[in-house]
Amino acid sequence: MKPIFVRGISIQFRLALAVILSVVLMISNQRLEPYRQSLSSLLTPIQYLANVPGVLLDWSSETLATRDMLSAQNKQLMRQQLLMSERLQRFEHLRQENVRLRALLGSPVHMDSRKVVAEVIEVASDPFRQYVVLNQGASNGVYHGQPVVDAQGVVGQVVEVSKFTSRVLLVSDSTHGIPVRVTRNDVRAIANGTGDIDDIELRHVAKNTDIVAGDLLVTSGLGNRFPEGYPVARVMNVSRDEGQNYAVINAQPLAALDRIRYVLLIWPDEPAVDTHLSEHLIKQSVETQLGSNSVASTANGEGQ
Amino acid sequence: MSAHVANGRLVVWLTFFLGAMFQIMPLPKIVEVWRPDWLVLVAIYWAMALPHRYNILTACFLGVLLDILLGATVGIRALAFSLVIYVVVMHSQRLRNFPRWQQSLLVSSLICGYHLVVFWVQYVVVGETPIDVVLFLPAISSVFIWWWLFLVLRNLRRLYNVR
Repeated sequence: MKPIFVRGISIQFRLALAVILSVVLMISNQRLEPYRQSLSSLLTPIQYLANVPGVLLDWSSETLATRDMLSAQNKQLMRQQLLMSERLQRFEHLRQENVRLRALLGSPVHMDSRKVVAEVIEVASDPFRQYVVLNQGASNGVYHGQPVVDAQGVVGQVVEVSKFTSRVLLVSDSTHGIPVRVTRNDVRAIANGTGDIDDIELRHVAKNTDIVAGDLLVTSGLGNRFPEGYPVARVMNVSRDEGQNYAVINAQPLAALDRIRYVLLIWPDEPAVDTHLSEHLIKQSVETQLGSNSVASTANGEGQ
Repeated sequence: MSAHVANGRLVVWLTFFLGAMFQIMPLPKIVEVWRPDWLVLVAIYWAMALPHRYNILTACFLGVLLDILLGATVGIRALAFSLVIYVVVMHSQRLRNFPRWQQSLLVSSLICGYHLVVFWVQYVVVGETPIDVVLFLPAISSVFIWWWLFLVLRNLRRLYNVR
């Protein structure tokens, strides 16, 4: 039998209860963060299941690809790899030179840091927020505030970690800011997201600052969150309106934020296993050389 | 009068689960703005069909789940869900007997209300969110989904005799 009248507590009372509960939850949001993380871990299966169609689509496009398509792709990748490896040869040389020079100057040597490839399993469906969810979580060592990049540039930073997933706030989100530097002349600024996926802006930049359209913005390493030197965006237009207090500068993020599928998680403080040793050796050899040189020069000085 | 047996609980929660799944499924950017609010629609159906079992507190719980899944401030969607389902429960008898087109128009306006509440609370809690027409596109797509979803859920309810 279906009761016609709802018995028990009345609807109005239930509504009041629900409203009070949600308001309390909203107010105590900061304090509930640990519970939220564990609940989020519990809900991970939903996220993984929701990603299944995407995975199936990927899989089917892989298995149903024709031989011609694959060979064309293969050729393109080969060409790309050739170009890359040529650049890498020069880069390796430059890197060693850089390590040596830095050791000579006595400044800290940049170590290559540990990186892990992560897959995007969910993107924001909310038009006001821009984030993605990755399939790596606390169990893989992901931490709050960790920088995330893709092949072209900085994607964002981790803002929420659960056991097996993590949420990355994109650089284009309106609550995201990232310290940047212009490669051409080392002018520093902070790039804020606008909520628009292909637009970030530099706020509070004086009108006479030397920034022009086409400038490349890279992370400045200030703020100790993002490691130095990753490309962030390219300046698209600069307007210096007399009526405004500051120059209005818009830039386009280099990372393909609207179609990212795989990203790199970076651990700036943990050195990568393979390159760490060689850099260390170079530094050591330079230091011993320096030591012997200084000994020799003092000896010469004494001799004269 | 307490003879009515609560059965088919599993079926109902399975539909909620699927609704949540569709709600967060990754979609291309162009289709994304048209994503119907699956979970709200499922909640509206069950609140309309069985208001004595699935009502405001269930909706509030679903809202909390969705907030956590979407990484928003917990409570925003819980509030919006509760308000929408309150309206549905109040008028469940009438809603059930409306012709389908009228029903779907009402559901569409409920979805509009839902998005307005979410927008407003977000504006108060998070701040600095520009209002956009994009906000109301799901209300349009939800109309078409409702036609289909109503039939599917009604058949499910009859098949498993959920009362």
